[in-house]
Amino acid sequence: MFQNYLSVAFRNLIKNKLYSAINIIGLAVGLMSCVLIMLFVRDEFSYDKFWKNADSIYRLHTTFAVPGREPFVTVVAQGPAKEALQRFFPNEIEATTRMNGMSPVVRRDDKTFQETIYWTDPETADMFDFDLIAGDMHQALADNSSIALSESMAEKYFGTDNAIGEVLTLTFYSITRDYRVAAVYRDLPHNTVIDLPAMVRIDEKDFEEQSWEFAQWFSVNSVLFYELKPGVNIDLVRNRLDDFANANIEIPSQLGRDIKASDFIKYSTLALPEIQLHPAGGGEMKPTGDIKKVQIFIAIAGLILLIACINFMNLATAKSIQRAREVALRKVLGARRSQLIVQFLGESVLLALIGLVLGLVLVEATLPAFSEMLGKELAFNYADGMTGLILLGLVIAVGVMGGIYPALVLSGFLPARVLKANKSAETGGSAILRNVLVVTQFTISIALIIGTAVVYGQMFYATSMDPGFNKDNLLVVRGTSRSGASDKQEALREEILRLPGVTSVAYSGDRPASGNENNTSVTVPGSENTESVLLGVQTVDYDFFSTYQIQFLAGRNYNRDFATDGRPSAEGAKPGEILNGTIILNESALGRLGFGTPQEALGKAVRLGVGGEPGARIQADLQVIGVVPDTHFQSLRRMVRPEMYMMDTDNHNNLSVRFSGDPARLVSAIEGVWKSMITNVPFSYEFVDEAMAEEFTQEQALAKLLTGFSVLAVAIACLGLYGLASYTAARRTKEIGIRKVLGASVLDIVRLLIWQFSKPVLLANIIAWPIAVWGMMSWLETFPYRLDTWVLGPLCIGAGVVALLIAWVTVGGNAAKVARSNPIKALRYE
Amino acid sequence: MLKLHNLSKVYRTDEVETVALNSVNVEIETGEFVAIMGPSGCGKSTLLNIIGMLDSPSSGNYFFMDEDVAGYSEAKLGNIRKQHIGFIFQSFNLIDELTVAENIELALLYHNIPASERRDRVARVMDKVGIAHRAKHMPSQLSGGQQQRVAVARAVVGDQAMILADEPTGNLDSAHGQEVMEMLQALNEEGTTIVMVTHSPAHADYARRTINLFDGHVVTENLRAAV
Ligand SMILES: Nc1ncnc2c1ncn2[C@@H]1O[C@H](COP(=O)(O)OP(=O)(O)O)[C@@H](O)[C@H]1O
Ligand SMILES: [Mg+2]
Repeated sequence: MFQNYLSVAFRNLIKNKLYSAINIIGLAVGLMSCVLIMLFVRDEFSYDKFWKNADSIYRLHTTFAVPGREPFVTVVAQGPAKEALQRFFPNEIEATTRMNGMSPVVRRDDKTFQETIYWTDPETADMFDFDLIAGDMHQALADNSSIALSESMAEKYFGTDNAIGEVLTLTFYSITRDYRVAAVYRDLPHNTVIDLPAMVRIDEKDFEEQSWEFAQWFSVNSVLFYELKPGVNIDLVRNRLDDFANANIEIPSQLGRDIKASDFIKYSTLALPEIQLHPAGGGEMKPTGDIKKVQIFIAIAGLILLIACINFMNLATAKSIQRAREVALRKVLGARRSQLIVQFLGESVLLALIGLVLGLVLVEATLPAFSEMLGKELAFNYADGMTGLILLGLVIAVGVMGGIYPALVLSGFLPARVLKANKSAETGGSAILRNVLVVTQFTISIALIIGTAVVYGQMFYATSMDPGFNKDNLLVVRGTSRSGASDKQEALREEILRLPGVTSVAYSGDRPASGNENNTSVTVPGSENTESVLLGVQTVDYDFFSTYQIQFLAGRNYNRDFATDGRPSAEGAKPGEILNGTIILNESALGRLGFGTPQEALGKAVRLGVGGEPGARIQADLQVIGVVPDTHFQSLRRMVRPEMYMMDTDNHNNLSVRFSGDPARLVSAIEGVWKSMITNVPFSYEFVDEAMAEEFTQEQALAKLLTGFSVLAVAIACLGLYGLASYTAARRTKEIGIRKVLGASVLDIVRLLIWQFSKPVLLANIIAWPIAVWGMMSWLETFPYRLDTWVLGPLCIGAGVVALLIAWVTVGGNAAKVARSNPIKALRYE
Repeated sequence: MLKLHNLSKVYRTDEVETVALNSVNVEIETGEFVAIMGPSGCGKSTLLNIIGMLDSPSSGNYFFMDEDVAGYSEAKLGNIRKQHIGFIFQSFNLIDELTVAENIELALLYHNIPASERRDRVARVMDKVGIAHRAKHMPSQLSGGQQQRVAVARAVVGDQAMILADEPTGNLDSAHGQEVMEMLQALNEEGTTIVMVTHSPAHADYARRTINLFDGHVVTENLRAAV
């Protein structure tokens, strides 16, 4: 019996080559997408579960909620918070540690690189279990002249030699010091949010001049992890974070009385394994994922599998009609309905199993490219019994789902009717079901096409949005205020300006798209409102606006001829003195300060601190000499903030170069100049347009993946449509023959068949549009600057047209073939 | 109306070569009623299909209204066909998914006739063949005789000059068969040329002339004395 089923099943597969191929390929591609996405999802959920203390390690996050501004949300904390946390929660917290990434210049013999190295506390060695290769972690973090290296870092400087005891020279701020390698640990796996290429111990004395790094309560630079004592519930900490803020942070009195620290500074906390999927703000050690993205991909995987299953069911029910005779004969010969159901389900599962095998082959073929696109090392582990079981279960489920309807319908055929009437045994129900399934497939495909188009559209919009300055033919040389370079700034500027192709250069504190926040609170002298206002600060020089090609709305630029222009130096000033200077504001700042129109703002002044000690401050009144439009200098991803462009020679860490001509040649020329003047700071630069596009790499990856999966979805749906079209054409040969006898031309017939398949696609459009528009509108919400909503209209119509064209191409060839065939063949035998 | 001269049809499949028609010479005048008889497989349907331009001869000439159409392209033949020739089949060949009226209208659909005129003409022929009360029914709801009447209506709704009927009574009982024959006779009397394949000598008697085929040859042509 079973033998008979199996041989019938295989014969059926071979006899209906097209049908089998479409079904197997469709299912294989669906399974492939599903497996790939599930590997991605599993990986996302595996983050940071491997640490020994994963369950008890938490991270402290800081949000600065300044009234009237978008809150500044970070996942980092202030330097003093480490000690304070330990003191405030003596019974709850076992240990705390900070990790503050800096970019010192590292030298070993003739090798000089700029590296990211983390300054951390010794507790790191206790809280985190590193996979040690050589040396001792505790020793490496015991003093301020030892260093722990990751394996790849050790290899970079010392090759395969034993690195322990060797020396690297680090230069950061004004310090240059030798560090002895005391530990080498295996590179952290990719599935952690912690990124530690190398570590040295924090010695706060090293940063006395850079108090913001570890000493200030209004500056956040360190990732702060803490470990709970055994058995402590995190809520004991979480519920008292406001108290923690109020007990430790003093709010400057000028911000107003009766203001508590917790009104301004909000703390939150996340368990280490939760971090990857719960984005909580800026300052991550490396880009993290997002549970929403994971959910989107799970949904896409489900939808693609659904499309593949639909194909399966569709083709199976369509095909079933042609097997009505076989079923009727089996019934006449005594087969019971249950036996028939088992037979058809078995065939379906067999087909699904073949699809699984092919799908696994496809997974193997595409996994490397998929991993690379995601920047992960994904591997498919066959030995893992769980994966195997899940897959097998999935395939059997698909097989059963694909087989159950045809099995029930077929086995329910009345043999007498089928054999005697010799008519098409198709019931109206299965035709409707087929149409519903085709509509579902195309709804999914069209929605995915729209989603892809919107993601690309938003990316294009964001990256081609006018940032308010000319971002093309502009590059930024970085690190110009590092020790070793800062004293040569003026000479460097002149040398680079002299290079052919360079039209203008300017120093500034920040560079475009860095996303850095630097704010200062100012007051308006002479106004009755004594409350201070927080403004963003960009440090610039005389040539900044001409180099960035920013036009003035009112007033003038800083001028070398005016000695009083810019921020006055506090040097030599007496405590309590109020100095004079000038300032340029952006348009948003006028609104914040209540300065009226750009013209009206000229001559007004802001007051801010420029030095001195608390209680004996030295302040400056800066008169507004110019107003410029808002620009997206800081980031295209955030709202433009009220900003001051302060002329100040301190902290000119970036040199912007406006050029014309061949960029590659220019870069090497600039590099030549740099190396001839500066030996201990590596040359580093970026093109402004590229840096700004890089802000959207996440979206770019999302767009690529969406493209991939919508192509797959459409391809599977089309395979199904093709199979269905050839089946339908076969079923309609008699009708087509009659029409041809009555004078229908080939074109008439092709049009008839194409219209038949256009209807479900058109209906799918009507269903897909609102769903896609709703989904994409909520996605777009996350961007302060986004596509106009009306753009979704043309995108929807475009997606619909694309789907329709694809459907036409799919069924067109078949339709033409059928339409050309001679009608007498179809009409000869009933 | 038409003239076949030394017309042959050879079917070639992979191995076998079947001579379905062998040097057939037939002439049919406008307004004639001709019956074609002969044993199964002698080439009757092939002959009718070639006359109806659904198939092309392998050799010989086919003059239709004084034009030699033997070498015409399929599209060209299709145009002549839809102008002048109507078909009736043994198995009715109605489209199951369309109503009676829609089935009849189908014959006008490919003629560039405005919808209102199409409706009028369909209504008229339905009256003529007596199925007007069934206009909205599906073919499956009709008896065989009624279905064949719909087929007849469809064959003449375009004012075709010639009707080709391949065993039109083959699937009908004698009473219904007679009905169809009377309908064809009536059409012939109105001037329509009719060529009909039949196995029934009684039905062949409705025709003025009978062509007997055997193994692809015309063996006899009997002219029934006009009464
Ligand atoms: N498409 C075809 N291919 C091959 N042989 C055919 C084809 N059509 C008809 N024949 C053969 O040609 C001969 C005449 O067939 P047909 O005209 O259908 O006979 P009749 O209608 O008189 O029964 C038969 O032997 C038949 O098998
Ligand atoms: Mg025949």
